[in-house]
Amino acid sequence: MELVKRYIAAVQRELPEQKREEIGRELNANIMDQLDSMSAQQGELTASAVSVVLKQLGHPRTVAQQFVPPLPLISSAYMSLYINTLFMVLGVLFVLQVITSSMAWLGSANMGLVGYLFNLARGFMEDAYFAFTAITLSYWLISRKQPEPKSCNTKNWLPEQLPAAGQTWQHIKLQDIFTDLATYIFLLVVIWYPQFMPTEQLASINLLLSDQLMLILQWSTPVIMFGIGSSLWQLRSRLWNKTRLIMNVVVNSFFAALAVFIATITPLLQESAFSLQKVFTLLQIERTAMIVFVVIAIITIWEVVRDIWRLRKLSYTH
Amino acid sequence: MTTAQLDKMRLELRRGVLVLAVLGSLKQPHYGYSLRQQLQQGGIDIDEGTLYPLIRRLADQGLLDSEWQQSEGRERRYYQLSTLGTALLTPLIKEWQQLNGALTNVLGDLVDDINNFSEASNKPEGNP
Repeated sequence: MELVKRYIAAVQRELPEQKREEIGRELNANIMDQLDSMSAQQGELTASAVSVVLKQLGHPRTVAQQFVPPLPLISSAYMSLYINTLFMVLGVLFVLQVITSSMAWLGSANMGLVGYLFNLARGFMEDAYFAFTAITLSYWLISRKQPEPKSCNTKNWLPEQLPAAGQTWQHIKLQDIFTDLATYIFLLVVIWYPQFMPTEQLASINLLLSDQLMLILQWSTPVIMFGIGSSLWQLRSRLWNKTRLIMNVVVNSFFAALAVFIATITPLLQESAFSLQKVFTLLQIERTAMIVFVVIAIITIWEVVRDIWRLRKLSYTH
Repeated sequence: MTTAQLDKMRLELRRGVLVLAVLGSLKQPHYGYSLRQQLQQGGIDIDEGTLYPLIRRLADQGLLDSEWQQSEGRERRYYQLSTLGTALLTPLIKEWQQLNGALTNVLGDLVDDINNFSEASNKPEGNP
């Protein structure tokens, strides 16, 4: 019966410590009963016959899992809440990282655009690892302590409180909101952070934008703030409605017009702050900047057209 | 449909019924192996890997009482319906009867068709 002992020991190794003894004892009794019954019919059992019986019972890990099914790290009752928390926290961390990286970029004499993007990605990943671990561990602990949420929204709800059925596109994705927020905050930092810098530091930074362009961007601050407010409002109820669409059309129309206007002015960039002049001529760099603003204008115009089309669709359905 | 799909659906179909069969069989005390034999004699073939964990789960839920006993020179864990299990068994049997009756109504024609088809297939060729 050496095989049976080995089998029981293998099952027990896969079980939680407090259940090993009892389940092992019971499994052993059941197997011995089965073997006794077989030997009463077939005579003394060979090792290979015992092996067949054990194989029929299943792999020790499978048997152990049947006795004590593995618990998921996070209970299914908390899964949607967990994913929502994760995306919200990661979104906020991304926005915060945009602020800190932009400040570091503007305050540094050596950091280029690639360095800025690398710094942003590295900083965000570091924060994201920590946040992911902390949130997952918290939900793991909650799942262990309280498998069902106490204040369960799935019990106290009314069909009348549900939002209108709407189209698939009416649902606003969290990543879209946080991307918009990060863009607005990046713009604000780029526009206003240099204003509060000491003159010596300002002289050494990587500020490429011309004074003329900076002035235009400063005047656009109220619209950027309006955009931030609009994004935060979208977080409250993530569904496109008429008002939200109109707000989006207004903000994007302004940015499209601004981008077109900026593309027509010269100079866009500061001549003195160019280290790239060793590789490209100033004219080439100015033209590239102009093309970038034209692309921005095209993208925002496309968003305006899309939102107007959505507004029309909404009007038809009502 | 693949065999794996059929096996999975059969498993789902049997899962709830097996609980009822086990609870019903444990009006008298049984140890694991003897319960399996009893079920087999009644026409319910259930593998050990399903039955033994199921009994433990029902005992953990308080539906079964259990006790280790020495018999035929070996220790065995005997299970029997607890007071709670006994109280639950009657409504469960009623539920099963109601469900079975409803299913017979729903599947009635289909079952007749299948039976007729089986009879026709089993008839030797040439016989009317």
